[in-house]
Amino acid sequence: MEEMKKQVEEDNAAVNEHDAQKGKYMTFKSGNEYFGLEIQYVNEIIQLQAITAIPETEDYIKGLINLRGKVIPVVDVRLRFKQEPFEYNDRTCIIVINIKSMMVGLIVEKIAEVVEIKDENILPPPTIGRSDKSGHNKYVYGIGKVGDTVKLLLDPDKLLNDDDLSVVEQANEMNNEE
Amino acid sequence: MAEEFSTDGMLDMYLFENGQLLEQLQDMVLEQKDADCFDEDSINEIFRTMHTIKGSSGIMMFDEITAIAHKLEDVFYYLRESHPDNVPHLELVDHVLEVADFISNEMDKIRNGDPADGDASQIIATLDKFLNEIKGGNSDSKGGKKAAKEPPENVHEEPKQFYIAPMATSASHFYRIYIYFFPETEMSNIHAYKAVYALKEVAEDLLYSPEDILSNPESGEVILKEGFKILLQSQADEAQLREIIGVGYDIEKVDLVECTANEFLQGFDMEYVAPASQIDLESSVEEIEARVQEGAKTEAAEEKKPAKPALAPGDFVIESKEPGKQKKLAKDKPKAEKATFISVNLSKMDQLMELIGELVISESVVLQNPDLKVPGLNLDNFNKAAAQLAKISTDLQNVIMSMRMVPLANTFQKMNRIVFDVSRKLGKDIDFVMVGEQTEVDKNIIEHISDPLMHIVRNSVDHGIESKEERRASGKSERGKVTLSAKTEAGKVWISVEDDGGGLDRDKIVAKARRQGLLDDNKPDSAYSDKEVFQFITLPGFSTNEVVTEYSGRGVGMDVVVQNIQAIGGSLEIESQKGVGSTMSLKIPLTLAIIDGIVMEVGQSSFVMETGAINEFVRVTEDMMIHEPNGEEYIMIRGECFPVLRLGKWYGLTEYKEAVEDGVMLILEVESKKVCLFVDKLVGEQEIVVKPIPSYIKKVKGLSGCTQLGDGSIALILDAAGLIE
Repeated sequence: MEEMKKQVEEDNAAVNEHDAQKGKYMTFKSGNEYFGLEIQYVNEIIQLQAITAIPETEDYIKGLINLRGKVIPVVDVRLRFKQEPFEYNDRTCIIVINIKSMMVGLIVEKIAEVVEIKDENILPPPTIGRSDKSGHNKYVYGIGKVGDTVKLLLDPDKLLNDDDLSVVEQANEMNNEE
Repeated sequence: MAEEFSTDGMLDMYLFENGQLLEQLQDMVLEQKDADCFDEDSINEIFRTMHTIKGSSGIMMFDEITAIAHKLEDVFYYLRESHPDNVPHLELVDHVLEVADFISNEMDKIRNGDPADGDASQIIATLDKFLNEIKGGNSDSKGGKKAAKEPPENVHEEPKQFYIAPMATSASHFYRIYIYFFPETEMSNIHAYKAVYALKEVAEDLLYSPEDILSNPESGEVILKEGFKILLQSQADEAQLREIIGVGYDIEKVDLVECTANEFLQGFDMEYVAPASQIDLESSVEEIEARVQEGAKTEAAEEKKPAKPALAPGDFVIESKEPGKQKKLAKDKPKAEKATFISVNLSKMDQLMELIGELVISESVVLQNPDLKVPGLNLDNFNKAAAQLAKISTDLQNVIMSMRMVPLANTFQKMNRIVFDVSRKLGKDIDFVMVGEQTEVDKNIIEHISDPLMHIVRNSVDHGIESKEERRASGKSERGKVTLSAKTEAGKVWISVEDDGGGLDRDKIVAKARRQGLLDDNKPDSAYSDKEVFQFITLPGFSTNEVVTEYSGRGVGMDVVVQNIQAIGGSLEIESQKGVGSTMSLKIPLTLAIIDGIVMEVGQSSFVMETGAINEFVRVTEDMMIHEPNGEEYIMIRGECFPVLRLGKWYGLTEYKEAVEDGVMLILEVESKKVCLFVDKLVGEQEIVVKPIPSYIKKVKGLSGCTQLGDGSIALILDAAGLIE
């Protein structure tokens, strides 16, 4: 009985913590745009470290890093969005995210800030009038307004788990638009 | 009701606990299989185990398990109480093992999420028959005594539930309350609960039976037949209680008996001494059954019960026997000192291991911090403290590694069981000796060797050891001997199965190998060493046993054994001498997680190759190379020609060395296929901890994992088999 009670309390605590995180987004810059990730996915932010390349993988998978004894893969967000590659410098960071108990590092140009975006300020992504970087829309599930600026909110699951089919689709889309 | 609770946690607990109980049970039974009968402790223990399993299975509503456990409990109840001396011991052992098997099977089903649909009725019937037999044989000689010894019915059949912590107030009274409902009352269990609920208001302490009135609709019938029993401690007097319970249209009669605190507590103590004392709670099953049948007489019997407090629950000690009767004590059974264990979730262990890994790394970050390199610093004290820290963290690492190590004893016990089963069925008399069962290996390894080992042991008993007649004819003792031993040596575990049977017949194997075209026609039989010849029996479809028995001889098996052993980096060695016996030795690594590896560099990347896969390192010169027009390369080394694989080119790396003179050739061999691997430079040999490549990254051919090198960087582990493909 005590056990159960404790369990319930813990659950409540977890819910509360979750509530506190709700509506907060970690934003970062990639290319000219700012992107937002729901903060509950973010584990930590680390400086760029030595990356061990893995042969025969997609170009956006840069390799493996050693995060305190844990081996985690890192993905270059710019390459993932099919943008021009960029030089890594001392502003370059790795955002370690945890999705479905899988840890992945995202290499981003610059970390911005944590912002709070209320649900009513989040718009669905436009379906027409895509920019030439139409690839975004696949991973962008909403556009958050913060003051005068907008942040593209990312669905981390889609960001990472892109099957071949959708790559083909994406390529086709891009071809059509050209 | 019961379904409303999440049973997940309970189910895990149930499976875990009962699994352990069954294992202990088997060990115990097998330990005494050669005795004339079970000793007192074991009988108690088996009874207790069955009682616990019955109880928990009942709660989890696995009816068949409950039924079968109940039946075996009956048998042991009888053994315990009546000490019959005509019990066919081996038959009893068989029965116990059969029941244990049945329950294990059901539990496997439950674990896999399947319904526990096994049918226990046949086993129950056999047990019934067995029980009747031993009873029948016994009743003449000891009929009178048995009747006297059979303990009268017990008021508290089921383990009790109590609501409120006992408060020993002097003004308290203790009552036994019996409530009888009209036979036609529906949902009497709910009515009973109403009474309990009402009594809780005044109760300082409250127990009732049957206790599962809310969760089990069947309990209603029991209540109708036997009445509903309550054990109550309260300050209220009898009249008040009667008023609280109230005699309604559904309650036929309420019996209220005041009893002493002592009697009451006696009934209560066992709640705390559980489970040891619980075992007697459901004593005399036959009597209860009989009572149910008698029906009308029940009431009278119930009313008498309070008058027999001497047989209070908790009193499970066997009544002292007549002086003349010899106690069956386990004299020669050494009482091993029991280690205490707790079970820990494996994920917590893994987490601990990871944390310690992190600790070690941050330790090296601190101790080799560039800030310390400033000239002129006096670091004497720092270095002392650092040495101390390093020592502790090394110890810590060793401890956590040892926590994953599990003794082989359990696996060996399983083999004991197999030897017992097989030898009984084949009519062979076999001594099974275990040596070094405390040898510890990684938990993962244990899971992998259990099946292969079982196969080898079975083989030894089945066609290693000859039949009694053959043994007698060849001048050996009729009793065969199988030795299972384990030891650690040179970072490997050696597990051998040795038998003193007929041994392998070299000529027969050679002849068969010739027939199957496995031998070189130009070589005479004698050109093959014993070792080579015996390896043939590990080939698929190669069995020299002419007769297919239930256990072996179908020609499948040894090849699977070898495959399984190789899968965990082990090997099988066979030694045998015709007429004297054979020894099969498994040589397996202590742990799967650590391998010996050669670290090498290509361009900017580090790779590791398992040492075992590398035959040799060679420095070569350009004139040894053969270039094919299609880009393929070969190399001639000492007259042998190997295909060359340039690791840098294969993986599209940059900055790797082109000229063969600048690098090193590794000759790899996997299953007698050889290939030359060209790398830039060798770094050294070291033990490496294998980590899987994160699942997010698709499988890359030729890579089997990754590891962390001393400087914290990551190296990829090459898989020789993948490269050769």
